[in-house]
Amino acid sequence: MIITTQKPLDEILDFISPYTNILIAGCDGCTQPPRGLRETKTLSQLLELGGKLRNKGFTFKVTTVAKQCDPYLAAAILRPQMEGVEAVLSLACGIGVQELAQLFPEITVFPAQNTHFMGAEEREKGALEERCAGCGDCLLALTGGICPVARCSKGLLNGACGGSKDGKCELSPDRDCAWVLIYERLKQQGKLERLKEFRPPRDYQLSGWRVTQ
Amino acid sequence: MSEVDTKEVVAVKQHIDYCSSCYICSTLCPYEALKKNPETGKVSLEIEKCQVCGLCYSNCPAKAIDTIYYDVASLNRYLERAKQEYESDTLVIMCKGSAPDFAWVERLLGVKKFIPLSVPCVGRVPAEIYLRALLMGIKNINVLACDDDYCRFKRGSSVATNVILGLNPLLEQLGYGRDVITLVRHSLKVKVDTNLCISCGNCVFYCPYNAAKLESPGVVSFDLSLCRGCGLCVAMCPALALELENWEREHISTLIARLSSEMKPPKILVFRCQWAVFPALNGDGEPASNIRAIDLPCASRVDTFHILEALQQGVDGVLIAACSEEDCKQQKASGKAQHSVAKLGERLNQIGLQGRLHFCTVTPRYPERFERELEEFRKRIEAIYSKEGKK
Repeated sequence: MIITTQKPLDEILDFISPYTNILIAGCDGCTQPPRGLRETKTLSQLLELGGKLRNKGFTFKVTTVAKQCDPYLAAAILRPQMEGVEAVLSLACGIGVQELAQLFPEITVFPAQNTHFMGAEEREKGALEERCAGCGDCLLALTGGICPVARCSKGLLNGACGGSKDGKCELSPDRDCAWVLIYERLKQQGKLERLKEFRPPRDYQLSGWRVTQ
Repeated sequence: MSEVDTKEVVAVKQHIDYCSSCYICSTLCPYEALKKNPETGKVSLEIEKCQVCGLCYSNCPAKAIDTIYYDVASLNRYLERAKQEYESDTLVIMCKGSAPDFAWVERLLGVKKFIPLSVPCVGRVPAEIYLRALLMGIKNINVLACDDDYCRFKRGSSVATNVILGLNPLLEQLGYGRDVITLVRHSLKVKVDTNLCISCGNCVFYCPYNAAKLESPGVVSFDLSLCRGCGLCVAMCPALALELENWEREHISTLIARLSSEMKPPKILVFRCQWAVFPALNGDGEPASNIRAIDLPCASRVDTFHILEALQQGVDGVLIAACSEEDCKQQKASGKAQHSVAKLGERLNQIGLQGRLHFCTVTPRYPERFERELEEFRKRIEAIYSKEGKK
């Protein structure tokens, strides 16, 4: 999932204060926590309350798109609702916001979220953590399904650095050392010999900026 | 909860001199709070375990147990008053946990007018109240109870069933006709709008009873025999695709609108978990002009959406009264409620609405605790209100 967090509400209020008729578009896709119909409604209520304290009245329309990053889907859902809309507040990740901005170039599209990374929920810690760095050269098959590129602070490919201590990373003691996790997993699978395979430096071009279909 | 003030008012009390050592109470108590004292041979009450279901009170043949909630005297007073007020000869005794709103009760029972009596668990209504009601000229008594295995007080619903099964033949012999007391089952259940479901699986994760199932491909479905109607999934569904049947969002919204228009500022709305606070019966004491309450089947049903709605309608402060996690009748749902209320509080701070929300854990065992929380909150909101002046 793409992990996002909500921007501070006063920042959003500053964005939207020049406008009155605003469409709040949720995204049911991969943004986590979910930013669907409930979140759009909650946000509209909060902004209305915030506006009231600032003597500013807004008219909100709330809706949600299954995936804002799919321009066809977004167009199908949003186009019929755009009449009279002066600004759009998108609850999607940065990709969704840009798709909407491209779809409605004459209208300002504001992000309601800060987008962080591709990650998943770590339930025990009650946190969302990065899991994939989009390197373009997936080596999960070799590392027991744990990604050192995203989860090792230094992105090391050939085992832990000297700073690993008690299974934790030297950069932040509450962060697991990815290579210790990989070691434990491979040990569990009886595949520790994989650690002996040498992996050459990554080809950074593969992460790239464009892929042709 | 650890330190117990000995002077604190307690909801259930024993008159140990009256105890005839029949042990009916300890057999009935669903929480093992009443046990035979091997030294005296009488029953002793361990108040910390008590959930104030009232089964012991209504079934003690020696009147050795007293409760401050819904005792015979207050139920009698209520019936006298309500009979005049509602101008009906049909009485509907409802379990608050399972009862739908009154419009649904009318439809469910096919009655136009009725005298409502909402109590936390129908099992706590003593047999003499049924008889008393008939003496007053009430012709029909309907009892709206949860299914036996959904009773939040475990045995309350089946105790009520037994009372009714025992009374009906007696009343028939006396010439009151057949089945004067009718038992109707009703348990709150979730319903899903498959058009809105986005198959995110949140309900599957949150449901404490494994009632939600998500198969791929497809939308979520519920095994209603497992659903206990707590409403946690409803409050957590990001797509607003879930509702509690007969306790829909719209119904709560209408209630919020009505109550906030009734109140005088500074307005305080209380969302009460019905297991955390046992309110006085309607008419027993006047409510303060600036405080109104909504009873919900569990604090986890307090949708952030409804809190915001109340604030939008001019309510100045919202108090949520929940059970502690240990007392929660819905498997620790109250902790989840506390978390979402805290999150909402942070967001309200961001827009400049500080201190408007308060989540407290209370228990009917110690009735003064809720009163204290409410009083403190009232002072806080009144202070904010007088500082900011009228909006």
